[in-house]
Amino acid sequence: MPWLTLLIVVPLAAGIVAALLPSATARLVAAVAGLVTAGLAVAVLFEFNRTVGTGQLTEHHGWASEAGLEWTLRVDGISLWLVLLTAGIFGLALVAGFLHMPARGGAQYLGLILIAEGALLGLFLAGNLLLFYVFWESMLIPFYFLVGMWGSEGRRQAVMRFVVYTMVGSLIMLVGIVATAFIARDVTGQFTFDIQALQGVAFSDTQSRWLFAAFALAFVIKLPMWPFHAWLPDTYRTAPIVVTVLLAAVMSKAGVYGFLKIGLPLFPGGAAFFQNVLVLLSVVSILYGSLVAWRAPTLRLVVAYSSIAHLGFILLGIVTIDGQALQGAVLQMVNHGLVVASAFVIVGIITQRSGREKVADLGGLAEGAPWLAGAFLFVTMASLAIPGSNAFAGEFFILIGTFRHHWWAVFLACLGIIYASVYMLRLFQRTMNGPRGQVSGSTVEMRPGDFVLLVPLVAAMLAIALWPQGVLRTTGPTVDRVLAPAQVALNRPASQVRARVPVNPPEEALPLPGDPEPTAPTPQNTQVPTP
Amino acid sequence: MIGSLAWVVLLLPLAGALVLGFSGSAEPPKALTRVAGVGTIALSFAATLVIFFTLLGRDADDRALTTTAWRWAELGPLRIDLALLLDPLSVLMMLVITGVGMLIVAYSTEYMNHDRDYRRFFAEMDFFIFAMLLLVMAANFVFLIIGWALVGLASYLLIGYYYDRPSAVAAAKKAFVINVLGDVGLVLAAFVMAVKLDTLDYAGVFGLAPEKLGHGGLIPELIAVLLFVGAAAKSAQVPLHTWLPDAMEGPTPVSALIHAATMVTAGVYLVVRCNVLYQLAPHASEMVAIVGAVTLFIAATIATVQEDIKRVLAWSTVSQIGYMIMAAGLGLYTGAMFHFLTHAFFKALLFLVAGVVIHALVGEQGIDRMGGLKKYLPVAWATTLVGCLAISGVPPFAGFFSKDEILARAWDAGDLGKVLSIVGLVGAVLTAFYMFRMFFRVFHGPEPEGGYAHAPHPSGPAMTLPVIVLAVLSTVGGLIQVPTVNHWLDSWLDVSLMADPALEASHATEWRTMTMSVIAAAAGIGLAWFIFAADGGRRRVQMAGAMPALRRFLLDQWRFDPVIDDAVVAPGRDLGDAAYRGFEPYGSGGLVRGGVGVATAAARLVRATQNGLVRMSAFGLVVGLIVVAAAMILGR
Repeated sequence: MPWLTLLIVVPLAAGIVAALLPSATARLVAAVAGLVTAGLAVAVLFEFNRTVGTGQLTEHHGWASEAGLEWTLRVDGISLWLVLLTAGIFGLALVAGFLHMPARGGAQYLGLILIAEGALLGLFLAGNLLLFYVFWESMLIPFYFLVGMWGSEGRRQAVMRFVVYTMVGSLIMLVGIVATAFIARDVTGQFTFDIQALQGVAFSDTQSRWLFAAFALAFVIKLPMWPFHAWLPDTYRTAPIVVTVLLAAVMSKAGVYGFLKIGLPLFPGGAAFFQNVLVLLSVVSILYGSLVAWRAPTLRLVVAYSSIAHLGFILLGIVTIDGQALQGAVLQMVNHGLVVASAFVIVGIITQRSGREKVADLGGLAEGAPWLAGAFLFVTMASLAIPGSNAFAGEFFILIGTFRHHWWAVFLACLGIIYASVYMLRLFQRTMNGPRGQVSGSTVEMRPGDFVLLVPLVAAMLAIALWPQGVLRTTGPTVDRVLAPAQVALNRPASQVRARVPVNPPEEALPLPGDPEPTAPTPQNTQVPTP
Repeated sequence: MIGSLAWVVLLLPLAGALVLGFSGSAEPPKALTRVAGVGTIALSFAATLVIFFTLLGRDADDRALTTTAWRWAELGPLRIDLALLLDPLSVLMMLVITGVGMLIVAYSTEYMNHDRDYRRFFAEMDFFIFAMLLLVMAANFVFLIIGWALVGLASYLLIGYYYDRPSAVAAAKKAFVINVLGDVGLVLAAFVMAVKLDTLDYAGVFGLAPEKLGHGGLIPELIAVLLFVGAAAKSAQVPLHTWLPDAMEGPTPVSALIHAATMVTAGVYLVVRCNVLYQLAPHASEMVAIVGAVTLFIAATIATVQEDIKRVLAWSTVSQIGYMIMAAGLGLYTGAMFHFLTHAFFKALLFLVAGVVIHALVGEQGIDRMGGLKKYLPVAWATTLVGCLAISGVPPFAGFFSKDEILARAWDAGDLGKVLSIVGLVGAVLTAFYMFRMFFRVFHGPEPEGGYAHAPHPSGPAMTLPVIVLAVLSTVGGLIQVPTVNHWLDSWLDVSLMADPALEASHATEWRTMTMSVIAAAAGIGLAWFIFAADGGRRRVQMAGAMPALRRFLLDQWRFDPVIDDAVVAPGRDLGDAAYRGFEPYGSGGLVRGGVGVATAAARLVRATQNGLVRMSAFGLVVGLIVVAAAMILGR
């Protein structure tokens, strides 16, 4: 079965069909398509061989082959979990859409969500740089309309900022993609956009740095990382709450994934060069996001800024270049998706039913809403990563690995952990506890439809909290492979490098006409040629 | 066999909490709540007894075992299991947690009877006991930290039990945040261990540490200090103690169980559990001992001016934990655990009787609105007297033996030990004074002006019985370890204390310290009697205006709160405000607004062919493809 192609085609096709149907039928089609896609993602989990670190279940078809664009799909230990996260969260979003469809243009709304799902899944499965770029750009279109047409006041300006900001990054990335293929051709004699085939290409230091920078800029904007986060607050504030969930839980992973799929494995020299800057900026993101979340006035903004802090942790786990930290970062990508989705669901429940956005306008909701208070407490604790929660496992591993190389960053990041308890408790206590505010608890209490959304999220969080090894054991080999080139570039001790570093062109390849005389290559100097 | 039983002990309270927590929206019949709430703890206690006697019947070397559920995480060389450790130290803690816990939860069935959310109370108490058991039963630092944080959560929930009361909400938050600070200390210590030793199992760390980390180096000192940050936050040691007095916002049984008998002593447990690491870190150990001594003194002075019966007990708890921490820092691990044990008895007793008094006075907690209660509440009078004698260190009550052991062995533990022993003796005078101040003012002297609106009523059997049991334990509990007679606790804990220096006091010191302790207690009690009882309480009124500056200082609790607020909390808040109001709209936002302006202008220029930015996206894609195609053609 072409599982991977199906994963992309089913939501895309269903999205186009749903958009053309009357809303009553559309919502059924959309919900079924969402569940079928989730089922396909689970099927991939079962098909997946967790002892292999390279891409698998490969599908390869020519498309616009003359231009190097090929339909190459692969799944590895990292993208596997992002596919599951995407399919799961979108499945829930479509079920939510089935339960409460927007009054205006419901069919188109659900159709666009499905198209966004197809694009994101395509992004996580793409094995070709151009295909990656096509999906990277095409996911912007459905989100543009979802925010621009169904958003709240101020949406035009917000969506404009969102699109411009992201476009700036992605156009630079396009330049980077093209440059990568051409420079690689000069080195290997082979013109390709295939990501796996580009691994191990011995770029010069300068090339590696510039190419890494071109990609990294697109990625950090998408994350977003401080100081490229300015598009985020307004977008998260004005988007319909379901779309905010999708942006925060799933789309934010696109940038992180880019580092893992392209940044580290293809440009280890650049990753090593920018490492300290990125570590510093991730720490700044953690602290800045936490401090602003503490002082932000509305419920949504608190969660939005907390998300910047959480993504800072994830980025820290990646750019610290350490096996344990990266395992933690991958785990934390899933955790953050689950936690931020449930946080926004709860914020959505409260703000929509009470009609109040500001923390100061609410209070004492727990009286009359015990279920909501319980769910909110659970999410609060998961969000501040209390030991015993799923998010703790991820943060703990990230910081262990980071501590090995950048202990100062860990001490600073720990301030973020303390602030997290401050801002999350502020959010929880100001809304749920204290004297009753303008709205009574019974108006916001959970309804049966809310349980449909929150129970799967909570169950997934508990499962990971109790058994993170379930995720770690599938990501391990991939993480080792992704990391190895950058570890070598940083001259890390051999005991930490747990995978073979690919060499491209292979050492036994015949020299190309015009190549300089080969100097006895060792794995070290084919990786990092001295200028 | 007892390995599986360990899981039963741990999971029964959790089951109770879950059943109560999810039993529907309506309040279930109270009888059911009692069965689920108390029954699970009682069964858990019974299973703990079986474990205890099984281990007792074994050879000393055969008394430790680990039971693993599953591999929790494997990250390269670092392997972390969900595993429990049964050894003399953890079993001693389990006995206290489930035993005293059972008494307190049983007491609560009556105490909370007319209160709100009966079911929620027992669900949260059961959850606390689960978390506390996890803390002491964990076989590695990861699950220690998890238990550590979950007791913090339970404590948060129970301090904020009356969640519509702003003071309770604020107290709960303060407790939680300070405890997160402590958690961070623990996690950082775990990072150092994970990086240096590649293991977080107790067995692995304590086995490898002496060889790999060495004695007195920077790394073991760092680990010990970081662990102590966690211990100090949880055990309310200066300067992280400010949350505990505020925690009295919770119902009284909560104060008895969590904020006196068990949770707040977790720091003592931690230092004792990590005795191997502290023996490798002499400077950190000294710091621990000094912090304990400073805490015991400061807290004891503050306790002498408190007017709220629960706050007297809270400050007394801080002070008594100071004794334990001081002992642990000096390497007197058994002494620390001995005092933990007796303190669990007499402090739980004192809180529970305080609850009886508060209950009898329909919620009144101020001791200046009490007085002459002896004739209304004779059982409470007698049991409080037992508790006060025990905490003051009057022989043969429990506290005498445990405090004496600490002071005597400290005296023979070097110069620092001598100094701290004297501090402890001064603390003993203060302890006897503030406890009997409370005792005389509550039970003796004149009734408050205008008398009591309703005659104070004695409590029913569910409250009285646990109080009597604890009074008995507070009387005889010290006999498990009597100088020169028996050393049961020393030999029981021997297996867990791998690096115990086994300090012993000489006979001369024993006798001298005992004499001094008794004199100290007598001095404190005598002074309290002289001021508060001898003259029918009139002398207190005459002395009320004496030394106003000192009194003010003590009432301000040595001004820790405002200083910490100014130095730590306010800067962060201001920085956050500056970032939100200053940087967000103008800083990076301004940059982007400028960028959007430029881009919009550019878009207008090409509006003839373009319409909006989305098309620009598609356009960019097409342009990109053309560039690629052209490049390919040219490249061929």
